[in-house]
Amino acid sequence: MSETCKVSSERRGDVAILWTDGYINNQGGEEIAREAYSHLDQGVRALVLNLEKTRIVNSIGISILIEVLEKVMDRKGVLAFCGLTPTIDKTFRIMGLAQYAEIFPTQDEALKKVAAQTA
Amino acid sequence: MTMPVSTAGLENLWKRVGAILETDAPLPSRIAEAALAATGARHAALYLRDRDAWVRAGERLAGEPDGSPIPDPLPEGIFVRDGDLWLPLSAEGETHGMLRLLGVDEAPESSNALAFLFGALVGAHRLARQVRDAEFELKARLLELESLYDLGLSLGGQLDLSALADEVLFRSISLTDAGKGTLVLVEPSGAVLLERSVGGDVFAARDVKGWSLPEGGVINNDASGTPTAGLALASCQKCLAVAISVPGRQLGVLAVADKESRDGRVLDFSATDARLLSLFANQAAAAIDTARLHRDAIEKERIERELELAAAIQRQILPRDLPEVPGLEIAAKNVPTRQVGGDYYDLFPLSRGRLGFVVADVSGKGVPAALLVSTVHAAVHLQIDEAPTIADLVGRIDRHLQRYAATRKFLTCFFGVIEPDTGTLRYVSAGHNPALLRRRSGALDQLGATGVPLGMFPKASWKELETRLEPGDLLCVYTDGVTEALDANDQEFGLERLSKIVGAEAPPVQLCREVFAAVDAFAAGVPQYDDQTLLLVRRKE
Repeated sequence: MSETCKVSSERRGDVAILWTDGYINNQGGEEIAREAYSHLDQGVRALVLNLEKTRIVNSIGISILIEVLEKVMDRKGVLAFCGLTPTIDKTFRIMGLAQYAEIFPTQDEALKKVAAQTA
Repeated sequence: MTMPVSTAGLENLWKRVGAILETDAPLPSRIAEAALAATGARHAALYLRDRDAWVRAGERLAGEPDGSPIPDPLPEGIFVRDGDLWLPLSAEGETHGMLRLLGVDEAPESSNALAFLFGALVGAHRLARQVRDAEFELKARLLELESLYDLGLSLGGQLDLSALADEVLFRSISLTDAGKGTLVLVEPSGAVLLERSVGGDVFAARDVKGWSLPEGGVINNDASGTPTAGLALASCQKCLAVAISVPGRQLGVLAVADKESRDGRVLDFSATDARLLSLFANQAAAAIDTARLHRDAIEKERIERELELAAAIQRQILPRDLPEVPGLEIAAKNVPTRQVGGDYYDLFPLSRGRLGFVVADVSGKGVPAALLVSTVHAAVHLQIDEAPTIADLVGRIDRHLQRYAATRKFLTCFFGVIEPDTGTLRYVSAGHNPALLRRRSGALDQLGATGVPLGMFPKASWKELETRLEPGDLLCVYTDGVTEALDANDQEFGLERLSKIVGAEAPPVQLCREVFAAVDAFAAGVPQYDDQTLLLVRRKE
């Protein structure tokens, strides 16, 4: 696993997909936030976070993801997660992230759903 | 000093402020906008207290400098400084925020009311954040409990040590908010069985052997330069380490380091962290022990299968019947041990009534040794009619092994050819144990090595020697499994005992039986780890 979390992204219409690779901690969370805010500022309304290359998330990372989620919601946008390990899936559900952001098994399913929501 | 405002103006002002405050924008933005509407300031900036620091709330404007311009020490009440109006936002007697209104060099009459209103809002906002933080903490504790439960469930069925180590390490790092973590498992011998690190090494795996951790683990919140439990740590500032152990044995060490905070500081590990990590280590210890036993059982099964295969190869190669050669009495026996080695013997009736024979001992055990024996067997049978001399035959087999043997192994062997009519024995001993030649008179000669073992050195050569078996003389060729058979005290059977038995005047078949009976009696049930092979050839009188 990468020692530092790498985040890459791609915009597809109104939706931006963010891929993480590595530990979502303070540094990883900040990377995600920076990438997400950049897309939001450019008018993106829906974000899909693909975490299939992430196996660890700590509470700092989660709190940053909550901040991102709040910002997305402030802008009446949509945030979805996909590719979560069972442990991270459960973590997100317990920590309340799943209350406001849907979790999908695959990226395709997430894209389909958020595209429909933002259409 | 404050500027007076008319009643109607005040009413309008509150309406505008109220409308702004009711929007969906984040609270800091609403307060700033309402303040701008109420005061006509050029720009409003809100700073909120976060522990000991003042943090800019809301989005920073383009060109706005980093850092907080909050005056230190903070003046009491509302004040104007350098053309900016400062409103302290207080609630419950504590100042939680400062509103800076740029371009307002005189406080309006509404200042106190605005400060009171915004102070109440900031107080409520702060309270809401505290509730949210408390809720987050509560959920984090719930997550810890769930993780412990899940870890127990998932480790219970996990027999893959590697996956198990990942599971334990990932959860430990995640739940302690550590920046890095290392898990090392060791064999009972102290050798490193497995090492995993995330975010970098907390310590060097080789150091686990010397690491004696007390129950409950060690917290070192000043690890820079300070050894933890006697060991220097790899680059980290603060560390928490616990032993993974079962009663009487340490299986490994689990360590996490550099607990993160939201603002980038490295926090101290707490007793709660240590307790949590200890619980993880306890859960892991039982599962790791089970997984290791499972792995050992699988390895044992694999070895058993390999030994069965090697034994089958060996059975196919060794002669089923001994040849009848006029003028000679022959006896031979091979006793494979549980750990099948590479003993091999064979006899070849040759032209003019001669008898060729070989006794060989391959280095190593199991399938690799059995395959090498198979290679030698094939090479001997292919070359024996072609080679003009025994030395040449041995050289050809050696070249064949150097060229084609899959593994770098070697073998010792004793090749001989006897002419029964004359008793002439020509032989080559490639690093083999000395063969014994018992004369009819009772004297015992040793036929030592005439060259190095096969497969060991390229371009080696061997001398071929000749001796004569008189009528009644007995040749005894054996492998070291016979002379090095061990008893319960690790004493070897030895050449002396063998010499004494074969030194007696008796038919080879009887002597062969007596040798193996004596070895059995000597070992007294102690398992032997090397094949035992004996070949006896006596020239009839």
